Amino acid sequence: MSYGASLITHLWPLVLFLVLVIGLISLMLAGPYFLGSRRNARATGEPYECGIVPVGSAQYHVPIPFYLFAIFFVIFDLEAVFLFAWAVAVRETGWAGFIEALVFIVILLVALLYLWRLGALDWRTFRQKRDRASVLLR
Amino acid sequence: MTATTLASSRGSSARAAGVVADLLKVFPDLQVQNTIDDMPTVWATRESVRQVLACLKRGLSPGYSMLYDLTAIDERVRANRRGQPASDFTVVYQLLSFERNGFIRIKVPLRDNDLHIETISDIWPNANWYERECRDMFGICFDNHPTPYPLIMPATWHGHPLRKEHPARATEMEPFSLPDEIQDQEQEALRFDPAKWGMTRHGDSTDFMFLNLGPNHPSVHGVFRVALQLDGEEIVDAVPDIGYHHRGAEKMGERQAWHSYMPYTDRVDYLGGVMNNLPYVMAIEKMAGIEVSDRVKTIRVMLSECFRIQSHFLFFGTFAQDVGQMSPIFYIFTDREMMFNIIETITGGRMHPSWFRIGGVAQDLPRGWDIKLREFIKRMRKNMPHYRSMVLNNRILKQRTVGVGVYDTATAIEWGVTGGGLRATGFNWDMRKQIPYSGYQNFDFDIPLGINGDAYDRALVRFEEIIQSLRIIEQCLDHMPEGPYKADHPLTTPPPKERTMRDIETLIHHFVHESWGPAIPAGEACTPIEATKGLNSYYLVSDGNTTSYRTRIRTPSFAHLQMIPEMCRGMMVADVIAIIASIDFVMADVDR
Amino acid sequence: MSSITANILNVVGILVFVVASAAMLTWVERRMLGIWQERYGPNRVGPFGILQVAADMIKLLMKEDWVPPFADRFVFVVAPTIAMFVVVAAYAVIPMAPGIGVIDLNIGLLFFLAMTSLSAYSVMFGAYASDNKYALLGGLRAAAQMLSYEVFLGLSLMGVVMLAGTFNLREIVLAQQEQWFVIPQFLAMLLFFIAGIAESHRTPFDLPEAEHELTAGFHTEYSGMKFGMFFIGEYVSVLLTASMMVVLFFGGWLGPVLPPLVWFLLKTSILVLLMILIRGALPRPRYDQLMAFGWKVMLPLAMINLVVTGVLVLV
Repeated sequence: MSYGASLITHLWPLVLFLVLVIGLISLMLAGPYFLGSRRNARATGEPYECGIVPVGSAQYHVPIPFYLFAIFFVIFDLEAVFLFAWAVAVRETGWAGFIEALVFIVILLVALLYLWRLGALDWRTFRQKRDRASVLLR
Repeated sequence: MTATTLASSRGSSARAAGVVADLLKVFPDLQVQNTIDDMPTVWATRESVRQVLACLKRGLSPGYSMLYDLTAIDERVRANRRGQPASDFTVVYQLLSFERNGFIRIKVPLRDNDLHIETISDIWPNANWYERECRDMFGICFDNHPTPYPLIMPATWHGHPLRKEHPARATEMEPFSLPDEIQDQEQEALRFDPAKWGMTRHGDSTDFMFLNLGPNHPSVHGVFRVALQLDGEEIVDAVPDIGYHHRGAEKMGERQAWHSYMPYTDRVDYLGGVMNNLPYVMAIEKMAGIEVSDRVKTIRVMLSECFRIQSHFLFFGTFAQDVGQMSPIFYIFTDREMMFNIIETITGGRMHPSWFRIGGVAQDLPRGWDIKLREFIKRMRKNMPHYRSMVLNNRILKQRTVGVGVYDTATAIEWGVTGGGLRATGFNWDMRKQIPYSGYQNFDFDIPLGINGDAYDRALVRFEEIIQSLRIIEQCLDHMPEGPYKADHPLTTPPPKERTMRDIETLIHHFVHESWGPAIPAGEACTPIEATKGLNSYYLVSDGNTTSYRTRIRTPSFAHLQMIPEMCRGMMVADVIAIIASIDFVMADVDR
Repeated sequence: MSSITANILNVVGILVFVVASAAMLTWVERRMLGIWQERYGPNRVGPFGILQVAADMIKLLMKEDWVPPFADRFVFVVAPTIAMFVVVAAYAVIPMAPGIGVIDLNIGLLFFLAMTSLSAYSVMFGAYASDNKYALLGGLRAAAQMLSYEVFLGLSLMGVVMLAGTFNLREIVLAQQEQWFVIPQFLAMLLFFIAGIAESHRTPFDLPEAEHELTAGFHTEYSGMKFGMFFIGEYVSVLLTASMMVVLFFGGWLGPVLPPLVWFLLKTSILVLLMILIRGALPRPRYDQLMAFGWKVMLPLAMINLVVTGVLVLV
């Protein structure tokens, strides 16, 4: 039996499962299409903004801090993926592998510490920091 | 008791005379008016009023640091104005001095053909909303006002509701209808215009988002709207917008008889129940010259404190809920329900019993009234520590509220903040202690204070106030005086029913008061009280008729909401919710 | 032939189980919260209100199939589809008992991680397609939160992988015959639990849909069955997190006397109830606090856990 064929014999329950899930979702989407009521009042087509006509659209330039998350994610999640590979093979690679992984983790932690010191992990606004510092903590 | 009350009132009028004398030294042209409530009242002119007010705030020592209220009276059809300068519309400024423990009233006459007066929003920032309200209600123009836009009334409204010629009933107006094109116009008028408020659409590096928080939003506690200028999650600026709950309670006062207006007061701060009746009946009693018995005073104090607990319960539960804690409100509502049952046993009503009467209360206490109350106090002594550890000691809640919405005492006074919001800054001023009314001087209780003036302290102060109110109620239980539940006075409304069948005098009064209502002697009176949310008062002007000539309701929530931008700038959206939750307001109390 | 029948039964059975128990969870949660909050919860439809689920389903089916005219139509429909699909699909690799489970993948754990990371798309797509400011704010929060907690979710599991030496979930369960992994990996269990709640954005990590702040957050413009799919997706996600914890830390189906499947369901139920209890008990932190907690506490702890486990495995 070829590799592909064995893959199919092995994986077909998963494929069947996913097909059934998609089928179920289609049913859930189709059901209301046929069963649901239809109504169109004057304000039905307006976006919800607490009952007031909105100013400007929701498609606007997202402030920069949000992109920071994306960058941190890319950095740390990619690094984490390397660790996955090490984790599953930790016995095979032995102490040599451990030391290499340790160096890797330490570098990651140093990078995290650097970001921390830089204030990149503190998303509070200026006023939030100031007011929090000004109050007496109990 | 009566002797001490008399002495203290004599003392206050002596102090009052002192202020007026000081003021007359600087401004000899001022005209003094004697009012029945012993509140020093002087008439200034349009030209001099700014100097007078500035002098009262900064020139005198100690000064009047808070603008307590600013309103107007349409005087055009008022008959009893003897000794007062000619005026069509009178602007009334009411100031409060915490050092003197007293108020002062400054009046300015304006003529119908020239309704202009200089703004004082540069002297007190909280004058801003009061002046806008006056402009809506009377059409008085405040020159140089920074934001002269409608506040309470819709921008599309024609006429000024509190002018005497404006109809008070819907039946005097065109039948209401809302065709599509009018609805579109109304909606368009509500659209937020950033340029009008001096906001730009773009910052240095980002676009700002303008977000309407409310009027239809789960955490604005009613129909309240804040337009937020956002940079990501950070609030750049905020513009609160009110008026969605405006029912014209002040106008109603001019149409309802003195007695039949009582239920309307319950619905102003609708969580305060009979506590709303108190400033109203006390002001009327002052004008009518009714002295109520100690029993009446104690019953009034007891029920007022019951409602203070009810209001603070709701505050505390929703406060926890608004920062995302789901359960406390359900536990608290069980207690609240118990208290409502007790209130129902005593008054027959639950949230709005309208139970106080001119010259007393509606009925005497029922037999065995104290049993359930004692049980309740015992239960609360057990439950309060749970609530403290569940909510106030929760670390996430502290993270969310400590250092959020901070203001100091001076800022609070500038903005007219009273009640728990003021005491959370550590300022020890509670009307019940400083200017006792209705016999509060006879009770032993503490005034809880905060330190930081942040959202957490505001919750903490109110939580402690519940415990103090329990103490007061307990003292009422132990020392309830004997005596009549209604004063023996011709203007007591309604007179004791059981006596109507015995003597003709009472029968006549009963008939007259029930049909036309009592005619309260001409005069003016205002008796502020420490209500659930801060200082609340009814400034009543009687023209000797069966209805009030002018009913001005000064509510604490109105002033508190005005401060929201101050607290929110530079914080995040989530903080706005915590701040709003910590203010403790109801929209009916704001819009009236 | 019999193995094919068994497989088909397995596939259909698990799909029905997942969807039905997620629907049931909506009722369980409301009842349990009711009990813990001194009130009733839904108790009118059927015995103990259990038919409330059916009533809700019928209601959702009869609701209007609505796509706002200002929305990006295609993405708007795709978003809830992803939300539902990924969490149910991830359940395919959960070994419920010997012989019960859709598929036995060598990379089962990675499959699970891949599927959960996809769920970030559903929230972002939903928010973006809605063209609504509340949805956008919710979407931005969701993106930031889910991306961050994604990192810790994966890292916290690597200690278990080290101990078991495999990504195969069935083998991970079997590796716990001596000792459940919750004992050597207690810290990792806590980290995974927190990250799991964050991934399914439930209280106290429900910032993307924080009702009191953003009305309904990313699904503000959703209604009817499309909202229902987000809703069911959330409950499947709760079930998935609980099941995954049982498999990874609490010995899966292992246990004395009772049949394996019963053990699995029992352990899962306890964890689900715990998640419901947490919802009833805790307030919601602020967005920046949540992020700071993740990056400053969770991430270093996950890494340290990794190093310590490495040492323990090698010694």
